Amino acid sequence: MSAAPATSVNARQTVSAGHSRLVALVQGLLGLAAFFLLWWLLVDVYGVWRFRQLPKLTASVREWLSPNPTYGISLYTQEYYKHLFSSIKRVAIAFCLAVSLGILVGVLSGWSRWFRAVVFPLLEVARPIPILAWIPLVLLLAPGRETAVITLTFLAAFFITTLNTMLGIKSIDEVYFRAARSLGFSEWAILRHVVVPGALPYIFVGLQIAMAACWFSLVASEIVSGTAGLGYKIWEAYYYVQFETMTIMMVTLGICGYLSSSLVRRVGNWLMRWRGSMLKGMAR
Amino acid sequence: MRGAVSIRGAVKVYDPERSQVVALDGLDLDIAPGEFCAVVGPSGCGKTTLLNAIAGFDTLTSGSITLDGQTIAEPDRSAPPGADRIVVFQNGALFPWRSVLWNVTCGPVMQKRMGRAEATERASALLARVGMQGSDDKYPGELSGGQRRRVEIVRALMNDPSVLLLDEPFRALDALTKSVMQEYLTELLVEVPKTVFFITHDLEEAIFLGDKVVALTSRPGRIRQVVPVSLEKPRRHTVLTSPEFLAIKATLSGAIHEEARRAFVYGERELA
Amino acid sequence: MALDVLQAAPTAAETKKGLGVRQLFNRHFNLLIGTMSVGGTLLLWQYARALGIPGLAFVDPPTAIIAASADLLQSATFWTACYKSFIRISIGFVLAQLIGIPLGLLMAANRFAFNTVFPITEILRPVPPVAWIPIAIIFWPTREMSTIFIVFLGAFWIVLLNTIGGASTIDPAYRRAALSLGSSRWHLFRYIIFPATLPSIVTGMVVGMGICWEMVVAAEMIAGDTGLGYLLWQSFEINATAQVIVCMIAIGIAGFASSALISRLARLLTPWIAER
Repeated sequence: MSAAPATSVNARQTVSAGHSRLVALVQGLLGLAAFFLLWWLLVDVYGVWRFRQLPKLTASVREWLSPNPTYGISLYTQEYYKHLFSSIKRVAIAFCLAVSLGILVGVLSGWSRWFRAVVFPLLEVARPIPILAWIPLVLLLAPGRETAVITLTFLAAFFITTLNTMLGIKSIDEVYFRAARSLGFSEWAILRHVVVPGALPYIFVGLQIAMAACWFSLVASEIVSGTAGLGYKIWEAYYYVQFETMTIMMVTLGICGYLSSSLVRRVGNWLMRWRGSMLKGMAR
Repeated sequence: MRGAVSIRGAVKVYDPERSQVVALDGLDLDIAPGEFCAVVGPSGCGKTTLLNAIAGFDTLTSGSITLDGQTIAEPDRSAPPGADRIVVFQNGALFPWRSVLWNVTCGPVMQKRMGRAEATERASALLARVGMQGSDDKYPGELSGGQRRRVEIVRALMNDPSVLLLDEPFRALDALTKSVMQEYLTELLVEVPKTVFFITHDLEEAIFLGDKVVALTSRPGRIRQVVPVSLEKPRRHTVLTSPEFLAIKATLSGAIHEEARRAFVYGERELA
Repeated sequence: MALDVLQAAPTAAETKKGLGVRQLFNRHFNLLIGTMSVGGTLLLWQYARALGIPGLAFVDPPTAIIAASADLLQSATFWTACYKSFIRISIGFVLAQLIGIPLGLLMAANRFAFNTVFPITEILRPVPPVAWIPIAIIFWPTREMSTIFIVFLGAFWIVLLNTIGGASTIDPAYRRAALSLGSSRWHLFRYIIFPATLPSIVTGMVVGMGICWEMVVAAEMIAGDTGLGYLLWQSFEINATAQVIVCMIAIGIAGFASSALISRLARLLTPWIAER
């Protein structure tokens, strides 16, 4: 973390940065082109081995962009957006609930040893059970299918957020608490100005994972119990041999997953502007 | 002036896993109001234990400490940490997620001793005094090590503590920055006189800053030698080569070196 | 600062007085309260129907679960299911390591490989592995193979990313030190790059194992004909709540045990990492 060698390395990096970024871009496009070319050749053109049965690249793209899709799902149809928005709505509700509740439980556990002693063992008992193994139980207990899907999506994010918040609080150097006490901070001020900002880096690492887990759990729950949504439609399309629709929905899921996690990252970077300045000083 | 610290028979025994470690063994020390008391000793001699007991982060096993006549530590009990005994920590404890100005003004504002405007005004004056004007909105991570130390000392002084507890504040700095920081500190203390309890490994630093240098024995910590320093203040670095300075250094360095060798045999482990 | 505001410091005080009740309580605080917490929850659950707790009242009480687990543990179906899931996890997990680690090391070592392959992983990775289940079923000749593929995919991304991450954050000083000692390229890899990446790789393994269990449950539940996930789903379909919970617990224990095993392996592989 010494400052002096870092500057010289940085200087060298910026000189060649423009050039190497261009090279990276070209090579990246090359890689993507090779990927799609391979898909096209293996599936569309030659139909090698079992690749023959996979969804075709050209047909999928055509279907996606067609105003009159064969199987009713394309950028121009209402149904596409119906499934898209019902999935987004579920993830949004579940994620927000999980974040608020997870951070609350995490902070309280870091805060009071009684709370931690009571809650932590329960979490530890429940945590090794994969989220997807909760599906049948939640289906049995939840009053409706919609509630069940949201609950399962919530559970995935909740455990991760809670544990990362607890880890985050544990990671805060004791010296900040001592300094705050010396400076006459109230308990509330310590919570607000030391505990929360100090745990934020870990919390946001947790939120990134939690967001991915949300989509993951959502798709599984929608497949087994949904009535709408991207996961449900993927399974339905498989069932009715509408493979192009399947591809469209998978790509859409990928885009949603990517956008939502980059949203979390952006919010995190904005809330932790103070870290940007610190990283600049570090050798990298 | 406030800030008379009196330590009587301080004993601290750590008992991790029943292997008793005596960190302090019957230490007596008096610090007069406004006095700069520099404590030197090898690693693990109980300097930080003593500081923690004064600050209220730790308790004594026996003995007592009073501050301006009021007991702040007695066996197994200590007054909670407060703004009357501000600590500047070894590796710094500026809140990295808050701006320089927030860090400096948070103490008096939280204690409701000053309004935010008044605190800002006073902070700006003190920051300017140590050459830190124009850094109000920066984050601590954007500052150099020496700048951070200056901000931290200003933060401590903003609370108008009875005693300032400095735990090797310049340890992580390079030698040149360190010498500049020492001058800043002496100048600040002329302007805002304070009782100071200063811990260091560095004998020259102790003599340069102190009104009195206390040499501790290696574990268990006892007082080995107390030497008053009557060099005129504020001191400049030219004093380091003056005959008076060198004479004081000569009286202390033998004892310090001997304790360091003893500590070396134990392994230089620090106690919490 | 008067004496009456002095606060007690219990831990230090008690060391002198020997073992008191209070000290015993403090020393085993977490265990004691934790046991009470878990025990209390089980009691609430047991008497949920009598107490009229919503939700829990519909679930069979713990005593019924114990009875059901006794039944299940004696059945061959259960042990076959365990065995099947175990085999799938093992193969999928090992494949993920065999492909993910070399690819990750290659991508970390070679700019061209990184620049061309990374964008592809970036567009494939955000698609949840569960969404690949239909494709896997279509592509692979047998259900067994598609399940293994899904398990593999679950662990693959995390293994790949951790390997790349670990290998690209090696302190350049190690590299320079090795080069100045006259290391060959192979030695550089064998004694510097690989061991320096290992902690990150094993972290990926531990996390990857957790995801493997998620995936095997999903695949067996959705498209399987054997395995613990399938048994879980079957129990749900015949409305055997107690058996559902027994399966959940069994999966939880199996997942926990395999993670513990991987952690143990991780400690063996990286003895120089003090705490994990």
